[in-house]
Amino acid sequence: MSTPKSIAVAVLNKLGAAVLVVWLTATVVFLALRASGDPLEAILGGPGSQASPEAVAQARADYGLDQPFFMQYLSQLWRVATLQFGDSYARKQPVADLLAANVPPTLVLATLAFVLAWVLALAATLAASTARGRLGRAIRSALTGIETVSSVMPQFFLGAVLILVFASQLQWLPATGGASGGARALILPVITLAVPIAGYLAHVLHGPLTEADTAPFATTARSRGASESRVLLRHTLRHAALPAISLSGWAYGSLLSGAVVVEVLFARQGLGRLLLEATTVRDMPVVIGSITIVALLYVVVLIVTDIVERIVDPRGTARRELASSGSDASTEVVA
Amino acid sequence: MRIKPLLPLGLIASAALVLTACSTGGTDAEAPETTEGGTLVYATGDAEPSCLDPHVGGNYPQALISTQYLEPLVGRDASGTITPWLATEWETSEDGLTWDFTLKEGVTFTDGTPLDAAAIKANVEHLQDPETQSSTGYLAVQKVAEVEVVDDTHARFHMSAPDSALLESMSQQWTAIQSPAGIERGMEANCQAPIGTGPFVVDEWVPQDHVTLVRNEDYQTPGPENDHDGGAFVDAIEWRFIPDAATRNAALVSGEVNIVDNPLPADIVAAEAGDEISHIDAPRPGAVNRIELNSNQAPFNDSKVREAFIRAANPDAGIDTLFQGTAPRSHSPLSSIEPLGYSDESLFAYDLDEAAKLLDEAGWTEGADGVREKDGEKLTVRFPVSTNQSTATEQSLFQQIQANVAEVGFDVQLEPLDLSSWYGALAAHEYEAVSAPYTKVGPDVLRILYHSASLVPAPSGYFANLAQLNDPELDALLDEASATLDADTRAGIYEEAQQRILSTFTVLPLYDQQNHFLTQGVDGVTTLGTVATPTFVNAKLTA
Repeated sequence: MSTPKSIAVAVLNKLGAAVLVVWLTATVVFLALRASGDPLEAILGGPGSQASPEAVAQARADYGLDQPFFMQYLSQLWRVATLQFGDSYARKQPVADLLAANVPPTLVLATLAFVLAWVLALAATLAASTARGRLGRAIRSALTGIETVSSVMPQFFLGAVLILVFASQLQWLPATGGASGGARALILPVITLAVPIAGYLAHVLHGPLTEADTAPFATTARSRGASESRVLLRHTLRHAALPAISLSGWAYGSLLSGAVVVEVLFARQGLGRLLLEATTVRDMPVVIGSITIVALLYVVVLIVTDIVERIVDPRGTARRELASSGSDASTEVVA
Repeated sequence: MRIKPLLPLGLIASAALVLTACSTGGTDAEAPETTEGGTLVYATGDAEPSCLDPHVGGNYPQALISTQYLEPLVGRDASGTITPWLATEWETSEDGLTWDFTLKEGVTFTDGTPLDAAAIKANVEHLQDPETQSSTGYLAVQKVAEVEVVDDTHARFHMSAPDSALLESMSQQWTAIQSPAGIERGMEANCQAPIGTGPFVVDEWVPQDHVTLVRNEDYQTPGPENDHDGGAFVDAIEWRFIPDAATRNAALVSGEVNIVDNPLPADIVAAEAGDEISHIDAPRPGAVNRIELNSNQAPFNDSKVREAFIRAANPDAGIDTLFQGTAPRSHSPLSSIEPLGYSDESLFAYDLDEAAKLLDEAGWTEGADGVREKDGEKLTVRFPVSTNQSTATEQSLFQQIQANVAEVGFDVQLEPLDLSSWYGALAAHEYEAVSAPYTKVGPDVLRILYHSASLVPAPSGYFANLAQLNDPELDALLDEASATLDADTRAGIYEEAQQRILSTFTVLPLYDQQNHFLTQGVDGVTTLGTVATPTFVNAKLTA
């Protein structure tokens, strides 16, 4: 059984890993940014910048760029550890303010896309599994096709087509997520983000579901007189959903990074766009702040996925616990 | 099974194409009814400014937006003549070392601070203060030693050397005048909402999304483009940041926004063909878009090799097709809107045979792979391209030029780089060819780009003389032009300087720095004669 204690232990393990992930991320980002250019461009205004020597010296001192390399690294680590990211070089604003403004829109976008992706994937899989006969075969092959296309569809292309059709031509929905756009402005970006992930999830759901349908436990359930829908909802789907749930952590993470494309395309405020713009000008405090937050969010998502997995399938937990206590892990636990 | 998956994709794409094809009909409109009030929505494709005060840094996106709330000391009309603005008149001493400016009376900034000589002094000092981290504005007032407050409406500029470009410099948005009380608040506050005398006031900035500008109810200082008494007609401007050009156009077509900048050539052509969308073509002043050849290292330290490159480049066809007629070819180092620009088409005539002959003379012989060689070295040209500053269309043009010069044996290596890496490559002199924009009012931009003083990098590593010209006679001409206040003499010197620059074959002029605007549902949009930024003081939404 999945006890609160086992969950707590798992969470602590993940948190330990989280610290490691954040430290590594901060280090790699710091080294990469420092190796690839001087952030003074960001500070001094970029293109055509021919700042006075005084201004350059002043900026160097103000931002601690005259410190030895290792000191800069340490102070950057300290900032990450205390989540005090300092001020943006380019925007002359506290990074915390920028993150506060940009994290929520991205979370809303990614979460809605995540929910839509699951709804689409479940709907497609159920349609394919429940339809019988020729119609069923037709639906299944069509879905396989759509799944394949949607999981390889580049988001910028899908987004551009949606904008062209629904904003430019039909004018049903706004092309951009401006302040005036409201909830309607979320529809196209959410679809753009969700479709490829939905394709992937459907793919992962489909196979195990077909397999489970003929598995002994399904046959047993049917022989006990369970209806088809009961077999599906109580038994086979639950079994088939596990790989997809495990993948959800990864899927959500990829939505956070996919937000870069979608936020730029639909001109939405958000973490992805902030990160992209900060990276082009080597605005180190912003880049490190954003990446740290993304890493933390990702870790949180992995923990949540783990908990959900344990709730949906206690057997897995039992197996893991048996394994960790040295017992025979192959012991079959009957559902 | 292999075909089917593509079906939905194909259907969507072809539906989109059909719908696009149907849309160009357009209604035949009578003169549209205009209304006062309302919110005008502007969508920019330029980078979002990192600071709304154009004194800090000083780039084009800042000029674009600050035109709406900050005004310069003087204006410039389409013919290049300096016109009154915040200053009603001005006068210089015979030696060019003092300038007296008379300010318009009774003007206040939107925070109530009076516009007086002390304010002008505070602004120049702000530009010169290292803590402001100014680059463009700093260069513009470099020769101003001190501003003296004669009385409330009279400011006297004491110069360290005569500066014939002073009025042009002070007409730029990067030196526009702000409330001293606003500046006093410190950089962070002033970057968020600079305070000026313009037709609009900065109300709110939501980064990555929009800036809201509201009408200045007490607008008192009509600029050169204002055609009526009083302030702007619209109540507010929502200034939005939409980086993707196709999205911007979709937003314009669907009526989400009234004005877009940086449209794609195809969208300009479509707008010209229809009735609904209007097109404003306002090339930027200063330098023309051009390719510069690094004359300070092999192979372009040989004038013959440079000439061969330029003779073989043949950019005309590419400019025509890629820009679809929206960008005329230039043969001058200066923008077509600079009255003192000098052109010489003959220097750039396409001639493959001549190019091959020049390379033969220079000792570069054809190798087995078609790339010429000399002393075991390949005729390689490193060409770093800033993907932040160069549009996709321009990058295609560079590829065509790459193919054209390959015919005579050049191996051009185009390297797309982000801004910082691009600066890095230039600072390390790891380039033989490069294209860098530079916007400034007036021909003094030649001094920034081609004077040997600009070979010395700022401590940030950037230097503006990318052709690496080091010609004492050219330096003398540029210095003389800068110190010459007589207009005719000055024009003559600048012509000579440009002839000299072009004859070095270090510069391949391409076309003006593109500045196009598409508008829908709005009337009365004009652009300033300075750095070609749009002004909405006359704009009215159409009902």
